[in-house]
Amino acid sequence: MQVSDSLRILRSRKAIVVRVVDEAPAVKTFTLRIEGEHDIKPGQFNMIYYWGIGEAPISLANLPVRSGGSTIIEHTVRSTGIVTNTIIEKARTGSILGVRGPYGKGWPLDKHENMNIVIVAGGIGLAPLRPVIKYIEKNRGKYRDIYILYGARTPTDMLYKYELDNYFKIPGVKVMLSSDVRVEGWSHYVGFVTDLVKNIEVKPEETVSYVCGPEVMMRVAVRRLLEKGFRKENIYLSLERRMRCGIGLCGTCQFGHYFVCKDGPVFPYSEVEDYLWIEGV
Amino acid sequence: MYDLDRLIRILRENLNLQLQGYRYHAGRVSWGEINGIADLPLSVEDYVEPGLYRLKEGYRFRHSSVSPKVFLLPSEQVFLYESEDYARVKAPDTSEMRQTALFGIKPCDRRAIEVLDNIIGSKNPVYASRRKSIAAIIVEECLEPNNNCFCGAVGSGPSIEGGFDVAYARLDEKRVFFKYGSELGRDILVKLDLKPAGEREVNEYREKIESTRELTSRAFSRVMREVQENLLSKARDKDLWLKVSEDCVGCGNCNFVCPTCFCLEFEYSINEQNMGVKTAQWTGCLLYTYGQVAGGHFRPELYTRYRHFVLHKFVFYPKQIGLIGCVGCGRCITWCPMGIDLRGSVNSVAQGGVNAGK
Repeated sequence: MQVSDSLRILRSRKAIVVRVVDEAPAVKTFTLRIEGEHDIKPGQFNMIYYWGIGEAPISLANLPVRSGGSTIIEHTVRSTGIVTNTIIEKARTGSILGVRGPYGKGWPLDKHENMNIVIVAGGIGLAPLRPVIKYIEKNRGKYRDIYILYGARTPTDMLYKYELDNYFKIPGVKVMLSSDVRVEGWSHYVGFVTDLVKNIEVKPEETVSYVCGPEVMMRVAVRRLLEKGFRKENIYLSLERRMRCGIGLCGTCQFGHYFVCKDGPVFPYSEVEDYLWIEGV
Repeated sequence: MYDLDRLIRILRENLNLQLQGYRYHAGRVSWGEINGIADLPLSVEDYVEPGLYRLKEGYRFRHSSVSPKVFLLPSEQVFLYESEDYARVKAPDTSEMRQTALFGIKPCDRRAIEVLDNIIGSKNPVYASRRKSIAAIIVEECLEPNNNCFCGAVGSGPSIEGGFDVAYARLDEKRVFFKYGSELGRDILVKLDLKPAGEREVNEYREKIESTRELTSRAFSRVMREVQENLLSKARDKDLWLKVSEDCVGCGNCNFVCPTCFCLEFEYSINEQNMGVKTAQWTGCLLYTYGQVAGGHFRPELYTRYRHFVLHKFVFYPKQIGLIGCVGCGRCITWCPMGIDLRGSVNSVAQGGVNAGK
């Protein structure tokens, strides 16, 4: 009984890397095959374990696919610390990674059927929103107008460049891209992605917005969306904090009274408005 | 005293429990197994001030730097061993974990366990297995507080009303007053075959409890509800928190001695059997790395971490579990190397910045 607790709670499952895609400098997407079911939803995350080195919380970056007796999932990883550096440097096709999850609350896509959705993503913040785009594409009839606002520091830093063009072709989807920096050959907007919010044409009361990116960018996005008339409870943010366990036992992801790992990482702005503007709360 | 000796014997011999509690050994009180009355801190008394702890002769032991947390949520915890291909997995063997009685913990300690039960409960497998091993709780009520005690102000003491089996209080060096809080406790007291307390002893007990309650209830200058509201509304007053935390050096002592601080840092290693080991160690919100991530830092400034310590105890815990996370034991005050007084910090903020500082 007691022995099984540890196994049940903190055990990682074996995942085999079946594909690695270079996305941007120091960013790669890993396609993983896990035996059996792994019921993970857009916006949720897994703790990805490089055996003996450590775990890092990584969002789901594509819809899971059942294949035979296995589940195929994707995670986009940026090399920032010891764990992610090791994964980026060492994991290749055939490598084994540990996966613990799924954890957290994702984007409430079911709740938002028949609404317009405005996706605002900055930099690597597109990763947790990519499965949202894929889901909408698969279930196009369930949602109304879709905007995808995506910006990065430079076009080179953008993720999924090989499929961004496809987003433009999804019926009823408007894509607006931005680069913070002017780069030769860039035909889209130059400036912050949050500037693009003013160009969207939707009835705010029938629209939800899903936002992910650096926290400063999300704060600006919230301001722009509120100015546009969006309701606080219709703006959703995917927050990041130091996460070690994923289930609210280690306490290090606290944000106000929330545990970002289990109460989030996706929060409606209305739940976090008291905290989002306070430095280091 | 003879009654306490017999109580220990009943728990150990009749109920076959191991006893864990405040253990006096070689001039100090630490946490450990109680094998007999000689292990109890019966002839010492703690003298404390902010930033000062001395053990002297006496009979009113209140606190040591340890608490039941060191038993339930040890500073190092091994969770799991996993082979590189994840085919072999092993959890630490807890089958030899003996059925345990917590002996001589204080009402504030008991409240701290309630807080931990609610915030961690079954989520941490180490905590869960240790918590399950507790078969009896024997509480010692304090009939005189130390200088840093404020259980009355947070409602965790000095008397205990539930969640225990047997409680006792030392009326003086010789006389011990017992009460039971459960069927098991009643059975134990029946076995103890005590001399019934007379009206004189009952009144003496009540008077001392009430005077202790009075002394430990003065910590805050406002009622708790008002304190909580003001703390939250002042959360963004950076200057105020900078002032309140100006003496803090970020050592984390307060976190480690706090009976409800539970934050853990995960550690990963590979052992001699070539198994990957997942372990955890205590960390705390006052330490620099709290809030640091590979790509940045969510709490780089010390005042934000000190503020989290205070807000978590008084504002966030109530939102998380419906209980104040501070149990008023005063350990964070006693073991702060700078003598920062949590009561003073709370009052400074709750009064809106007047006399901000210590």
